[in-house]
Amino acid sequence: MELLIKNGSVYDPSNGINGDKADISIKDGKIVDKVSSKATVIDAGGRLVMAGGVDAHSHIAGAKVNVGRIMRPEDTRSGIKPRTKLTRPTTGYTVPNVYAMGYRYAQMGYTTVFEAAQAIMKARHTHEELEEIPIIDKGALTLFGSNWPTMDFVREKNMDKLAAYISWGLLASRGFGVKVVNPGGGEMWGFGKNVTSLDDVVPNFDVTPREIIVSLMKANEMLGLPHSVHLHCNNLGKPGNYKTTLASMELADQVKASRDRQVLHVTHLLFNSMGGTNWGDFESKADEVANYLNNHDNVTGDMGQMIFGSATTMTADGPVQYANAKLMHAKWANGDVELEDASGVVPLYYIKQVSVYAIMWATGLELGLLTKDPYKMLLTTDHPNGGPFVNYSEVIALLMSNKKRQEEIKTVHEAVHSKTRLPGIERELDFSEIAIMTRAGTAKVLGLLDTKGHLGVGADADVSIYDIKPDQIDPSVEHAKIKSAFSSAAYTIKGGQVVVKDGQITATPMGRTYWVDARVPEQHTNEMMKDIVKKFKNYYSIQLANYMVQDAYLTHPKVVKAGAIPVEVR
Amino acid sequence: MQIVTIKPTKEIKISTEVENISPDKFAGKTEQEIKSLEAWIGNQKMTIGELFSVKVEGSAPAADTKIVMEGDFSRVKRIGEGMTAGLVIINGNVDMHLGAKMSGGKISVKGNVDSWAGREMKGGELIIEGNAGYYLGAGYRGESCGMRGGKITVMGNALDFVGEHMCGGEIIVNGNTGILPGLSNNGGKIVIGGNTSRPGSEMSKGTIIVNGTVDEMMPVFKLEGNEAVDGVTYKKYTGDVIVNGKGLLYIK
Ligand SMILES: [Zn+2]
Repeated sequence: MELLIKNGSVYDPSNGINGDKADISIKDGKIVDKVSSKATVIDAGGRLVMAGGVDAHSHIAGAKVNVGRIMRPEDTRSGIKPRTKLTRPTTGYTVPNVYAMGYRYAQMGYTTVFEAAQAIMKARHTHEELEEIPIIDKGALTLFGSNWPTMDFVREKNMDKLAAYISWGLLASRGFGVKVVNPGGGEMWGFGKNVTSLDDVVPNFDVTPREIIVSLMKANEMLGLPHSVHLHCNNLGKPGNYKTTLASMELADQVKASRDRQVLHVTHLLFNSMGGTNWGDFESKADEVANYLNNHDNVTGDMGQMIFGSATTMTADGPVQYANAKLMHAKWANGDVELEDASGVVPLYYIKQVSVYAIMWATGLELGLLTKDPYKMLLTTDHPNGGPFVNYSEVIALLMSNKKRQEEIKTVHEAVHSKTRLPGIERELDFSEIAIMTRAGTAKVLGLLDTKGHLGVGADADVSIYDIKPDQIDPSVEHAKIKSAFSSAAYTIKGGQVVVKDGQITATPMGRTYWVDARVPEQHTNEMMKDIVKKFKNYYSIQLANYMVQDAYLTHPKVVKAGAIPVEVR
Repeated sequence: MQIVTIKPTKEIKISTEVENISPDKFAGKTEQEIKSLEAWIGNQKMTIGELFSVKVEGSAPAADTKIVMEGDFSRVKRIGEGMTAGLVIINGNVDMHLGAKMSGGKISVKGNVDSWAGREMKGGELIIEGNAGYYLGAGYRGESCGMRGGKITVMGNALDFVGEHMCGGEIIVNGNTGILPGLSNNGGKIVIGGNTSRPGSEMSKGTIIVNGTVDEMMPVFKLEGNEAVDGVTYKKYTGDVIVNGKGLLYIK
């Protein structure tokens, strides 16, 4: 099967191609040098061509996503589309059903998406949903930050056991990377408390968030995992938390990267760039956070941009969700994952006229605009926490057009003028920078830049074509066209197959599920397993034998090998 | 003025959804055009013409369109859904979701209505001469705001959860209501002519007036003394104190 995309205006920044007229040749699901004359030809006609979109942080599958669906039947009433001969029915806006996750991402030109948090014990549920999400490639980051074994091994300063535990945990959950959410906080929440600084001691474990973060970063690099530690900072959503965020970022200096990427990815920074001491004097500190990133090369972040309207906040940060629900008089669901984590789900409605929300909206955009290098600030909405992913086109238009921002600023609470710097920021991102924040950068941060996020020879043949001619449009003025084009791709090609044409689904192949097989010396695993067996015997309510996700749960696996020792074939 | 008369051509036994019966949808249309509008019976897509006879006199915009419905519509759901103007007169009983999300115009029913009548209604008027089912003027599952505006009048009785999650507007039930009227409401006004039980639980704003007896009172209201409303003296309560509510509950 050969495909030739002709006359595209190609933006492939990691290969130094920025709007050049170029042809893209595809054979057997990969980008190749050239194809034969028998190749099917798609004439891009000068339109914008990019690699398929890659999302490094979105909540698309698993236990808390489903709790969101259960507690929000009213959300299910929107976005209803009956099945067609090709597609299954879709429902929902902030918490779409599984099919909608795949279709809607593909319709935006996205081909790879990572679920940002799965507890090992809930991983089977995550994979049951991933197996039903059509078209896109996907994977899930596994939670390690409040797990009892993690905290034990950190306290014992036994890095070999910690690395072995991560290796085993990734296998048990078929996970892709190490996610850390409010480290220590999940355990404290079991006692109705939370950690409030990097140096609070977690009771019964005698470890601090600082020790957990540093140890996990070290273990992550010992294992040479493709992705770095992916951190949801302590004190999320609290005024003044930017200090905790900066202090957490500084911890990356203690660890050396094992690969050409960051040591620490700090996620949905919008919720962690807050100044002030309470909601009354609350202000944006995005400039401080962006400034840190501008001066350091070992940390990356993503925006977590807020979208006005309905959102469903869901996180493994149980205590913050309880606080949210109380503050907003909102519906609240709480989850406890024994020995591993806590979680919470709260629906919110972000209103333009509420000062706090207006400031948060501006904070996200400040992060995107004040961070000079787009490789360090990925575009996300922390779906569906900041808002549903279907609004990425809105975020792109806002980043590309100061005119649009000024128009929006007129419609939001005036606090945006006194508490943020957004009104004075004139920077407008170009297509290359957008391609980095949504493709090359995300792939690089995930450690997948060999095959994802670019259009060089050897890359996966994931391509999106948008109905814009870059040389004939002024994104600053014609921002409505930018938004409309990025919301609905002219073509999405996944693994060399046209899956979307003119915004409509044309094929629904099953994507692959990425997970990382990271090896450690066998004796480390054996030592570590003695502790794990004891944990199961004494504390877990389920048997170890019922715990591991079996191969049957991944019908299209894509195993990425990593590990501290040379890998033998299994 | 446009007058559209609708009658079932056969007995409808299966649940039927016809949100296309609305002055907004009928305005300016011919008999043939109205007959070809979509209707669902069970899981089958049909047309209005396959279920009802349709007679059209005149042609006018929605505001000057009157729909007269004759016969038994007790299995027909979603009549007048989302209507913004005009008049619907129903000489019979209707099924669930009558006038849901309507924002203007008027619906008048001679018979009884099933549950969810006036759900999430924003404006306009709903007059029910018979009885109403459950969740009159409420919000559908999960919705945080039920009725937001407009007026519902029930001459007979209503069942449980009248005005649940109500945020605005007015509901008058001349007879009795079931348990928990105004549950979790956040605005609006409910007036009950007869008896009820456990009114106003979880209410944070809004007003409930009960002229009959309250079988059981939730222990979450604070007695503030007597107060006259429209010349009648009531015991005035505020609450629900558990949610720091500022709701007003008047009981005769
Ligand atoms: Zn997240």
